[in-house]
Amino acid sequence: MKSFSLKPYLLFLPSVLFMLLPLYGLLTAVLNSFGRHRGWTLDYYRQIFESKRFVMSLAFSLQTALIATLLSILIGLVLTRSFYPILEKITPRVSVWIPMLFPHFVWGYLVILLLSETGVAAQLLTAAGWISDPQHFPVLTRDPHGIGIILTYVWKEVPLVILMLLPVYASIRPEYYALVDTLGGSVWNRITAVELPHLLPVLMETSLIIFSFTLSAYEVPALLGTTFPEMVSVLSYDWFYGSSWQKRPLAFAAMVSISFVLLVLSFIGYGYLNKARWRAVKGNRS
Amino acid sequence: MSPTTLEVKQLKKTFQEDLILNDLSFQLNKGEILSVVGPSGSGKTTLLRVLAGLESPTNGSLWMNGKDITATKANRRDISLVFQQPLLFPHMTVKENIAYGAKVSKKYSKPKIERLMEAIGMSRYRDHFPSEISGGQQQRTALARAMATEPEVILFDEPFSSLDPALRQDLRYWVRDFLVEQKTTALFVTHDMEEAMIMGDQIAVFQDGEFQQIGDASVLHHSPANQKVASFMGGHLILNENEFVPLAEIHLSTLEGVETRTFKGRLEHLTYQHGRPVAHISVPALASRVALPVGKFTADTEEVTLHIPTSCIQRFEVNHHE
Repeated sequence: MKSFSLKPYLLFLPSVLFMLLPLYGLLTAVLNSFGRHRGWTLDYYRQIFESKRFVMSLAFSLQTALIATLLSILIGLVLTRSFYPILEKITPRVSVWIPMLFPHFVWGYLVILLLSETGVAAQLLTAAGWISDPQHFPVLTRDPHGIGIILTYVWKEVPLVILMLLPVYASIRPEYYALVDTLGGSVWNRITAVELPHLLPVLMETSLIIFSFTLSAYEVPALLGTTFPEMVSVLSYDWFYGSSWQKRPLAFAAMVSISFVLLVLSFIGYGYLNKARWRAVKGNRS
Repeated sequence: MSPTTLEVKQLKKTFQEDLILNDLSFQLNKGEILSVVGPSGSGKTTLLRVLAGLESPTNGSLWMNGKDITATKANRRDISLVFQQPLLFPHMTVKENIAYGAKVSKKYSKPKIERLMEAIGMSRYRDHFPSEISGGQQQRTALARAMATEPEVILFDEPFSSLDPALRQDLRYWVRDFLVEQKTTALFVTHDMEEAMIMGDQIAVFQDGEFQQIGDASVLHHSPANQKVASFMGGHLILNENEFVPLAEIHLSTLEGVETRTFKGRLEHLTYQHGRPVAHISVPALASRVALPVGKFTADTEEVTLHIPTSCIQRFEVNHHE
C-alpha cells in the first residue's frame, strides 16, 4: 500500500505562502468590486462599462499592450533567429540583457531624456541641421497614441524575449534543417516545421507575461502617457487615490475586469498548448 | 543495361587541411543499390551530405540523369536522405509526417500516402505521434517520408545504428525488399560489412577518401584489391602488403605432405558464433589478431601453430576495380 507522503505538500508550501498576499489582494479586490461593505451589487461594473472614460481607456490599454507585446515578440524573435550563434557567447548576450537591469520607470525616464521634444535626439538633429528647431521633433512621449509607452516597453521587453527564446534556438537540432532541405523545403518550411513547434509554448508564455504586464503596470504610462486617453492602470490609480473615496470600488471593478481578461487569455493559451499535439512535442503520451 | 541515374565525377572535399573525399568517381544505375562501407570517421557521412547538396564539393561534379547538379541547392535536388536518427517532427502524426515530405516537394496525393503507410505497415498507427511509436516504427516512417518525395535517389546514413540488434536485423531485410519492390535507386552507408552485404547489389569499400574496391560480396571476399579491403572484410589473415590467406585455409594441426608456412600464435579467447567455436588467436610475427572458426577445438595449451598451405596463399589484385 502506498503510504501517505507529506513531502509533496511541504514542497508546495513556500509557493503557497508566497501567493498568500497577492491572492488575498485579489480576493479583497473582487469582494470590494461587488460592494462588500455596502451590500452586494453589480453597480460598480455597470458604472465603469457605462463610463466613456473607462471604455476608451480599456480600448487604449488593450491596443497599446497588444502593439507593445507583438512588436517585442517580433523584434525579439527576429534578433534571436538572426544572431543566436553570436548571442550564445557571453559578452554579446550580457550586453543584450543590460536593459533588464533597469527598473521600468528608469527606462521610462531614459526614453523621455532621449526622445522628448527637448531630448537628446531632438538636440542632436537640430545641431546636425536636420530640423530647424527642437520643437519640430515629432511628439514621441506623452503622446495620445501611446508611442512613448510602446517604445519604452518594446525596448525593455525585447531582451526578455531574447532571454526566453535563446535556449529554445540553442536546443533545436541542426539535422532538422538538413532534413527539411533534403525533403525539398524552403526557409519558410524550416521556420514552420522545425522552429515554430519548439517556439510556440515559449512564445505563448512570453506574450502572456508581456501583455499582462504592459496592460496593468502603472509607472510607464504615468510617466509617458497623456491624460486622455489614459491607460486603465493610471485611471484606476486615480480612482483609488483620488479625492473621493466613493470611487474606490470603481478602481477595484476596473482592475478585476483586467484580471479577468488576463485569466481568460491564460486559460485559452494553456488549453491550446495542452492539446495532444503540443504535449507530444514534449514526449508525453496522450 | 539500366540508364545511369547518378554520376559522380572526380569528387573532392577538403575541410581545412583534411582531405575527406579524394577524386571520387562512380555511377549509380536506375534501381541499383550501392552499399558504401568504411570505418567510422572515414567521411562516409560527408559523401552523403555532398551528394544531397548539404555541403558543396571542393572540386568535381555531380550529374543526375545527364544534368549537372553540382550547383543545385539541396531542396532542388531529387535526392532524399534518411538520417541516422528518424528525425520525425514530434508535433505531427505518422500520417502527417509522411504527407509532409510529399507536400513540401509538391508531390502530394492522398492515395500515395495511404499506399506508403500500408507498405511500411503503419496504417493502424496513422494518428499516433512519434513519441507513441517504437524506434523501428519511427525509422520506417522516416523512410516513407523520404520516399513520399519520389526521389530519383535515396541516401541512407546508417539508419539502423540506433536500433537494437534484433530489430536492426529485421529492418535490414524489410528495407532491402522495400527498395527493390519500389525499384528505388539507393546509396546505403554503413560501417557494418554484414549490413553492407545484405543491403547492396554492389559494395564499395570506402577508406582514406576513396573507394578501395567496388564489387559484390563474393568478389570482395575472393579477390580483395588490397590490404584495407581484406582487413575490412575480416575473412582473411593478411600476411604482408601483397599476400593474404582465407581463414578457411588456416589449420591448427600439421598437414601431411603439403608445403606450408607456419606462424606461432597464442589463443586468447574461445567464443561461439553461429553455433561454431571461434578461436581468437594473436599472431606476434604478423602483429595481428585473427578470429578463426574451428571445427572441434581440443587444444589444451594456449600456444598454437597456424599451418597455411603455400598453395592457398593469394596475392592482392594490383589493379583494383573502379
